[in-house]
Amino acid sequence: MLLRMSWRNLWRNPRRTFVVLAAISVGIAGSIISMSVNYGMIASMVKTAIEGGLGHIQVHAEGWDANPELKIRLEDGGESVALALDRVPEIESWAPRLRAQGLVASPRASVGIAIIGVDPQRERHVSIAAESIFEGSWITKPRQLVIGDKLATRLQASVGSKLVVSVQDIDGELTGQAFRVAGLIHSGSRDLDDGTVFVNITEAQTLFGLGQSISEIVLVTANRDDIGLIQEKLEALLGEGPEVRTWEQLEPMLIYMVTAFDQMAWVLYAAVFIAMAFGIANVLLMAVFERTREIGMMRAVGMSRASVVGMVVLESAFVTMFGLLLGLLGAAFGVWLMRDGLDISSYAGSLDSYGIAPTLTPTLRTDDLGPPIIIGAITAVLSSLWPALRASRAKPADALRQL
Amino acid sequence: MNLETRLAWRNVWRNPRRTALSVAATVFAVFLVVLSIGMADGVHEKMIEDAVRLGSGHVAISGEGFRKNMTLEQFVPWDGRVEAALADAEGLRGWAPRISSFALLSLGDHSQGGMIIGIDPARESSVTEFSEKLAEGRFVAELTVPGTRELVLGRKLAAKLDAKLGDKVLLYGVAYSLETAYELFTLVGTLALPDPRMEKNLAIIHIADASDFYVYEGKITEVALLATDAAHTDGLRSSITAALGPELLGSLELQGYEELMPEIVQFILLDDAGMYATLIILVVVVGFGILNTILMAILERSHELGVVLALGLQPIKLFRMIYLESMMLAGVGLVIGLSLAVPLLAYLHGMEFPLSDELAKTTEFIGMEPMMTFKLGAMNPIGSTITILIVAAAAALYPAIKASRAKPVEALRSL
Repeated sequence: MLLRMSWRNLWRNPRRTFVVLAAISVGIAGSIISMSVNYGMIASMVKTAIEGGLGHIQVHAEGWDANPELKIRLEDGGESVALALDRVPEIESWAPRLRAQGLVASPRASVGIAIIGVDPQRERHVSIAAESIFEGSWITKPRQLVIGDKLATRLQASVGSKLVVSVQDIDGELTGQAFRVAGLIHSGSRDLDDGTVFVNITEAQTLFGLGQSISEIVLVTANRDDIGLIQEKLEALLGEGPEVRTWEQLEPMLIYMVTAFDQMAWVLYAAVFIAMAFGIANVLLMAVFERTREIGMMRAVGMSRASVVGMVVLESAFVTMFGLLLGLLGAAFGVWLMRDGLDISSYAGSLDSYGIAPTLTPTLRTDDLGPPIIIGAITAVLSSLWPALRASRAKPADALRQL
Repeated sequence: MNLETRLAWRNVWRNPRRTALSVAATVFAVFLVVLSIGMADGVHEKMIEDAVRLGSGHVAISGEGFRKNMTLEQFVPWDGRVEAALADAEGLRGWAPRISSFALLSLGDHSQGGMIIGIDPARESSVTEFSEKLAEGRFVAELTVPGTRELVLGRKLAAKLDAKLGDKVLLYGVAYSLETAYELFTLVGTLALPDPRMEKNLAIIHIADASDFYVYEGKITEVALLATDAAHTDGLRSSITAALGPELLGSLELQGYEELMPEIVQFILLDDAGMYATLIILVVVVGFGILNTILMAILERSHELGVVLALGLQPIKLFRMIYLESMMLAGVGLVIGLSLAVPLLAYLHGMEFPLSDELAKTTEFIGMEPMMTFKLGAMNPIGSTITILIVAAAAALYPAIKASRAKPVEALRSL
């Protein structure tokens, strides 16, 4: 009964209701679209990081967390870890790596870089390094290395050039080795394109004098939801010692960004909804004033104050719910329109140093619908309280006197 | 005050409660808009200022192609000619020569790659603030005898090397001659810098030691110039280009801070784009509020409007009156909103507030000190005012057209 009354009241003045609906749905759709563009940006950063070499999980020897450097190694070449990996079916693929720092020099220049020793076959399945080669090939022969396009420009090197990699070996001795450039990478990640040299892991081990030991094993899974489970299983299988870390633990920055954006989302929705609340309150107040006599009459024939309050609050709830629904549809449509991504490369090409891809694809997560719905519900109730109380105070006698 | 204006003003206050609610919404939006823009302007200006004062300067002179390759092969001949050109430059606050390159630093069994900057301590302080950012120890001393080989490291780099003051750190690099160069340097100080990436890879030595280490006599990689302020960057660049003359300029390039740090400039662009999109949504929502208020106001007055039209008021005058009502509604909100926001922003101008943990970690990612600052620029309140007035004008269009088209006969019939 109350529901039906509120519903009909709403459509007494459709034009007014439509304007409120428009305000709410534009506000909601705009907020959701702008948040989804932000999340799309973070999602692309996460993707760049994971595919650029972070993987889903990395296993290191004890002490890497505190001090990620060459002296922390899995001494058995990762064999014991590999055995454990075989017993976790959720793992899709894995690869061993050696990580160190050094200098790479061409006849024209020298640059400080990160040296990554990889198993050329296995690495193909855990990172985009091999796929991102646009000239030449991935490491196939002895004494080959792969560098990024930006690093190649700095070294004035191309496919086939001879480069010297100089390092400090495990005994502190300075040593070097000549390699030929097998291929050039362009991945869009500044780290890969400008600061990394890939060599065969066995050659890296020889260069540093390390025997068969490695820095890490990186692994990926087909389903990101399994990451926590894989970590638990590996930790149980490996026991004390090796550090099994998820990409979130290795790059907490990305998670901080998500949290920071979540905080921003609440602030954004709160601001938009406060602005809406004024509009909703205004319309309801007008509606209540117009109906003073009518409400007085209803009170006179025995409608309780609570019912009057309920009626007005319900009117507000209807408008807000409808607005939300339209807003969500609008947002979904907007995100659909931008499904191919916004090309920002023309004025944001340098943002690859933050791992931001040159195309922003809005990403709508179901979690993002929480804040607008919760804040929307609060707004509906709060903005209708004053008009509702006002209406409930209508005195039957006054109202009838004017009859 | 003519009749229309007076009528409009009175109409606005016919229903004070309704007007108050619309005005409140506008005040809220103006306040939020001005404050958010003030915060973004402050933070962005600080980002640029920090980056300029702890790195590139406003303009850099370097060998052609140096920025792209960052190798010793591109150099600035340092034989007094460039210095002479700088002496006459206008709008120049300070300049400092540098030799920048890479080297591997090692101590014990730790080794780390680092960005080596050879500086002239006396000149460097006229451009950057490195010497004021000491975490411990002292800055590289002005040389009396060459070969003192003092080293100052970003504190995270020092921590990674496990280096203490007084330790001899081995620098290992490739000289201009492409021979390997290695030399021991004594750690005399560490730096606490706003940009964590610099803390992790910056190593400062004396330019004379750098010249010796990289076998780079008579050459430097760049000169960093500080303009009297950021707005004079372009002026400074052209005055130096003129002073250098075509012969010297042939193998050199001059770049402003926008080219030196494109990622910061683009980050600011992206950040601004996101913020303005959000604020426009907010203002549009408030615009709908104004539209509804005015629409209600004319619907309840349809008799009255019919009567005035029947009495011969020109529809265009009615249109103008309704329009004025809307602008007044927005105007009152604007005046109150600005008179709240502008003094607050003026008070906050230049103050610094630490950020929440998550936000702090995020700003670290883009190499910025986790501090929130505010700036009151003239464009901020002016731009906000114009935007809100445009939205109010758009919002009034429908009700005003509707009112001026009201049919007197219909309006009177229901009398």
